[in-house]
Amino acid sequence: MTATQVQPVLEVRHLSTCFKTDRGVVTAVDDVSFKLYPGETLGIVGESGCGKTVTSKSIMRLLPEHLSFQKEGSEVLFGGNNLSLASEDEMREVRGDRIAMIFQEPMTSLNPVFTVGWQLDEALGYHTTLDKAARRERAIEMLRLVEMPEPERRIGEYPHQLSGGMRQRVMIAMALCCEPDILIADEPTTALDVTIQAQILDLMNGLKQRLNTAIMLITHDLGVVAQVCDRVMVMYAGRVIESGTVRDIFHRPQHPYTKALIESIPKSGAREHGKRLPTIDGIVPSLFELPHGCRFEDRCTIGDKKCIDREPALEALDGREVRCHFPLGDAR
Amino acid sequence: MTSTNSALGKFLSGRGMRKLRRDRMALVALAVIGVYLLLALSVGVGLLDKGDVFDRAGPDTVPGAWGVQDGEKRLTDAEFYIEQVQRAARASNAEDSLAELRFGGLRAAPGTPAEVQAQVDDAWLAFDAVAAYEELDEDPEVASLLTTLEQKVEGLYAAPTGFAGAIHSLRLSLGTDRQGRSILFRALYSTKVAVQIGIVSALISVLIGTLLGAAAGYFGGWVDHMVVWLYSTFSSIPWIVLLMVLASMFRGGPFDGTLIPVYAAFCMSFWISPCRVIRGEVMKLRELEYVQAASAIGFGRIRILLKHIIPNTAHLMFINFSLLFIGAIKAEVILSFLGLGVKNEPSWGVMINQAKAEVLNGFFWQIGAATFFMLVLVLAFNILSDALQDAFDPKHVGSQ
Repeated sequence: MTATQVQPVLEVRHLSTCFKTDRGVVTAVDDVSFKLYPGETLGIVGESGCGKTVTSKSIMRLLPEHLSFQKEGSEVLFGGNNLSLASEDEMREVRGDRIAMIFQEPMTSLNPVFTVGWQLDEALGYHTTLDKAARRERAIEMLRLVEMPEPERRIGEYPHQLSGGMRQRVMIAMALCCEPDILIADEPTTALDVTIQAQILDLMNGLKQRLNTAIMLITHDLGVVAQVCDRVMVMYAGRVIESGTVRDIFHRPQHPYTKALIESIPKSGAREHGKRLPTIDGIVPSLFELPHGCRFEDRCTIGDKKCIDREPALEALDGREVRCHFPLGDAR
Repeated sequence: MTSTNSALGKFLSGRGMRKLRRDRMALVALAVIGVYLLLALSVGVGLLDKGDVFDRAGPDTVPGAWGVQDGEKRLTDAEFYIEQVQRAARASNAEDSLAELRFGGLRAAPGTPAEVQAQVDDAWLAFDAVAAYEELDEDPEVASLLTTLEQKVEGLYAAPTGFAGAIHSLRLSLGTDRQGRSILFRALYSTKVAVQIGIVSALISVLIGTLLGAAAGYFGGWVDHMVVWLYSTFSSIPWIVLLMVLASMFRGGPFDGTLIPVYAAFCMSFWISPCRVIRGEVMKLRELEYVQAASAIGFGRIRILLKHIIPNTAHLMFINFSLLFIGAIKAEVILSFLGLGVKNEPSWGVMINQAKAEVLNGFFWQIGAATFFMLVLVLAFNILSDALQDAFDPKHVGSQ
């Protein structure tokens, strides 16, 4: 657990990201604030389209500039800079070197026409001043670090000669080769099968401890969150609706949405036999027609007229935050 | 061992290559193309010079291997050859003139001007004997007189022997055109012109098309609008008209008589198809995760475009190159046929253009040779492209 006096490595304040579309401006990420401490893993959870990926790409400023913008007042504080206002040149210094990112689809995340070694070498050559031999040494060392079998041989191979798990290992090696302060992992295990998924998560956990990197893990898989995260932030329709430690969120969820999400994880055991898996009825509201009040109102089982009229604020309590007029009590 | 070497090694021993090696037709086509390239290269380094293709190699139109010449023609040819020797023998510096007299591999037989003159008079007598007849064909008597005449004419010339003789008979093996120039040598020389035009214009077109198309696809916005406007405009002009306008624009300029107007015309109309294809491909590629991963590593946009995206369009560049190579060769033939293309050099188009009048008189071997040479090259290329697609298309091979 993080001590309060430790400085956060990244602080996001009031981040709002908008897209210009044919049907007008749409706010995909709405007033998101959070802190990320060194050496911790923050999980960002939510359904498809709730703004998880947009949040991470906004931090990296990887969204197309002519189609999107960050609202005034958005701040992404990193190393004393506000990345939200940084120039493209400054961003290039940060990307890959200080904040690295890995993607969901290991099959297409590596350039098919170059060898693994070439790609690692290019990243190293861009951010470091090592000479060619030293870069090769470092690339092999990184591959060994991510537990790639036979790194000396693999370094000369093309992505299509590697399995999905191995490709994701290479991606992690590439992301970590400059020892970044933050690793943003956007659904890093979604496309992998369960055994490989476990290996990759173990690997990331181990590396986090060795390199003291902060990890922002974006996923919709609560099982993954429970396994590797320290803190969780649940997003819904562009808003943060609840955040807190993994223990708090899983054992004492306060937002009805979080509770419903946790209940819809399939469980094993005789008691569950023959029961229908609980699901959440309805769909996420369209970002074009957001309700006035609580965004979860139409799918919520509790709540009343207040929820329709007024959107609840994000209220902090005991180191956790929840956005609900009727937070669930501790009793469960 | 560097990774490039092992990659090439894997490519050559890979499944695609094995599949290609099993395809007999493809191997034959590959060999044919190799022969053409070799020919073009050896012509380029000076195996044939302009003398070989512009000088008279024999009497008027010598038939090729399959032709039979009529009596009338044999008589005029004999007359031409006797006249040439006579003129040389009577010149003020007769010895020099005789020494210089030369048609292709043929040269005047050695002798003093007086001796030569005597032989010339003798030949004229034989000539008159034949010329007295109205009808030169079908009469066995005339036939033997013609043979005698030709023997006399041959006596005026020292036929080349040994290697030079072999070259001379090769020179005449496909006959000559109306001006007595060797058709085989002209067709061979045209191979160089064709390959040169094909390679240069396909290369430049693919380069321009790739750069513009990739920039348009990657940057989008006003760059895209401009490139699309440019190629829409160019493609709305029928290419042959564009080629004609450009070719006549260059007429009289400093580049007139070189191949530069042809290159310019081809590149201006040929860059469109690679540009279009590559623009579409890049629009697809730029959304792929490895491109996003590259920007997440911090690479700049130009670097991503040049080092990460364009190499992934290499297959399209190759396909377009081979299509445009063939296209340029065929377009050159059309352009030269219209008299707007190659100048001061033989080319298949020029040959076909010159053969127009000959064909009407039954002299088909010039158009035949030019068409055959072109057909074989184009056919071989098409067979090879098909085979390459069968062997390397990922839809056939699979990605693993």
